[in-house]
Amino acid sequence: MNKARLFFTVVTIMLCIALGISPASAQKGKPIKIGFMGDLSAPFSLSAQAAAKLAVSEMNAAGGILGRPVELITEDTKGEIPKGIEIYKKLVMHNNVDAVVLAEKVEMSVAGMQIGAELFREFPHIMFSTLGSGDAIWHHVRDDYERFKFGFQTYYFVSSHYLEIMGGQIIPDFFKNYVGVTKVALIYEDMDWTKPLRQGLPGVSPSLREVYESKGLEVVYEKTISLDQKVFSTLFEDVAKEGACMMDCVVGYIDQPAFIKQWAQSSARDIPWFFWGGLAGMPMAWNMTEGMIAGGSIGSSFVRVAITEKTIPFMDNMVEKYKTGPIFGSHTTYDTLYGYKKALEQADDTKDINNIIKSLENVRETAVLGKIGWDSRYHYNIPYPDYVTPIVQWQDGKMVPVYPSDVAQGTFQQPADLRK
Amino acid sequence: MIDVIQNIIIYTILWGSIYLLISIGFSLICGVLRIFHLGYGITFVIAAYGMWFFLSDMQMGLIPSIILMLLLQMFIAVFVFYKGVFQRYLDEEENLLVISILLFLAASHFSNWLYPVTAGVTIPTTLVPGMLKIGAVNVSYQMIAAAVVGIVVTALFVLMFLKTRTGLIIRAMSQDLNAARLMGASVDNMYYLAMIMAVIPPSICVLMIAPFWGIDPQMGEPLLITALLIAILGGLGNLKGNIMASYLIAFIHFSTSFLLAPRFMGFAALFVTLIFLIVKRGGIVAGETIW
Repeated sequence: MNKARLFFTVVTIMLCIALGISPASAQKGKPIKIGFMGDLSAPFSLSAQAAAKLAVSEMNAAGGILGRPVELITEDTKGEIPKGIEIYKKLVMHNNVDAVVLAEKVEMSVAGMQIGAELFREFPHIMFSTLGSGDAIWHHVRDDYERFKFGFQTYYFVSSHYLEIMGGQIIPDFFKNYVGVTKVALIYEDMDWTKPLRQGLPGVSPSLREVYESKGLEVVYEKTISLDQKVFSTLFEDVAKEGACMMDCVVGYIDQPAFIKQWAQSSARDIPWFFWGGLAGMPMAWNMTEGMIAGGSIGSSFVRVAITEKTIPFMDNMVEKYKTGPIFGSHTTYDTLYGYKKALEQADDTKDINNIIKSLENVRETAVLGKIGWDSRYHYNIPYPDYVTPIVQWQDGKMVPVYPSDVAQGTFQQPADLRK
Repeated sequence: MIDVIQNIIIYTILWGSIYLLISIGFSLICGVLRIFHLGYGITFVIAAYGMWFFLSDMQMGLIPSIILMLLLQMFIAVFVFYKGVFQRYLDEEENLLVISILLFLAASHFSNWLYPVTAGVTIPTTLVPGMLKIGAVNVSYQMIAAAVVGIVVTALFVLMFLKTRTGLIIRAMSQDLNAARLMGASVDNMYYLAMIMAVIPPSICVLMIAPFWGIDPQMGEPLLITALLIAILGGLGNLKGNIMASYLIAFIHFSTSFLLAPRFMGFAALFVTLIFLIVKRGGIVAGETIW
């Protein structure tokens, strides 16, 4: 080796050492970037953001993903879709994120999916929708897999999915055998997500009424209510007159405190109700209704039940580290990120997007609410019994899990008995 | 069918009386100040959240909280709306309307920021718990109490206008402002009085309906719309028309609800009001007087 070559080699090695560059460290040091989008003035997005931060900090403390650190880039959409689209573009094109998490209404996720499809070829990435409950996300994947295969949806229940759970478990097992219902009143809120339940989806799922009737229950009342409705007393008079034993309320966004207060002071006050989601499943609902919520049931993940070994630590860490309770969207965001981590590790790859998608389609990981994983064809998360949302009933100021039996901490009671 | 008729009659009487509480303050301002007060919705928001502030944050009792909330309402009505907006923009109606509604929306958003839904705001003002069965209909005592209070407050307003000297002056002002002024009426003082009086019914309304109504920062909007609708149908600023319109709107709401579907209540009331105004311009009691 002549002097000039020796000098060049030594200088190059020293420069590399000084700059900390090595082929191995170049791969190891580059973070896996995850973009988070949410309406950061809304409690649900804030809670989801805290859950994302918690997951990322835990992952980094445990050595990252495949030895690489994880970086979370948070953006506020303010709930505006045009702004959301710009943010999505920025995250994918400018920040070069590996995945985008949309913790917002389903309409925002649909917009993200559209723009993501445009960018996907040049900027391959994964999109996760962790708050939208509607069927629109997985319908995109079903209808045009090649174009929308990067999109995955995690939610407690996807609308049409729930029919399978209702038909398979809740109606025959919980309502009919456990609660003792023979006649039911169906009340829907006038929103897009309830449409498949009101009308059924041709070739996909029947309507909720048909599901009930197929299980031998009589639907004696069926009405749709509007989101701006404030007076429900008249509805309760009709429900009571029709002799319903239970009100299945396919609602999440109506004025639930008004509904509950008027129910408790109506002819239907002894007819128990079941809400699909919303404020009634949050701890402050008892105070907001001055205890009139007693006897009401709802699918709620805010109750302290150890569904897996991750559930209680997740709830405690959310409060301790981020001063926020786990409300809807937080469990799904947290579980999604762990599902993504497992998929990358399973694929042993962070680059080949098709490989990562295939891995996501087959992954199963222990989650806060059971097991997280996505359907290999339609990309919605695998529902109950893999992913569990307990049915709770408000009893004496507390949400008591009453179903399914493996997480139950009490038994269902009639509202009249609870008021005694 | 008899059950349905019973339901319609009872709910019309109950809610018609509650609608009086919602709308009478708005009509009063329309009748006396000749202002379409689009910021009126703020009174419902302050009644709920002002009350919660004193009750929960300041740890005061129920009665002191109600008194302080009423004083806050009066302060905002006089100094923010009357002196800050109405006096300043009386000749610029578009500015007056825009600023009033912006103030109302700002208060709603501020309440939302201060007390988001997770704060669990509630107003514990149940006077009489329990239910009363009237024929085939079960109604809560609280709803009946709210209706009775609505009738009593309206009756007191009417008596004040008909039987007191102040009422006479206000009526004179509503008929002819200049003539009243020439006769020595203290117009400014009467305006202050009208602004103060106008916040009392909606404040009482929120206290009375809270046990069967949802408390949220946007609660002022539907209540403002109800007040607007009643005032327009009744004849802007006329209390006689306001009373009739309250019961008429309640009848439309509840006959639609029981005979058709609850979700069409709002649409039915708007539609009937629109048709009514086409047929009879100016509303039920079209006139420039308050009574």
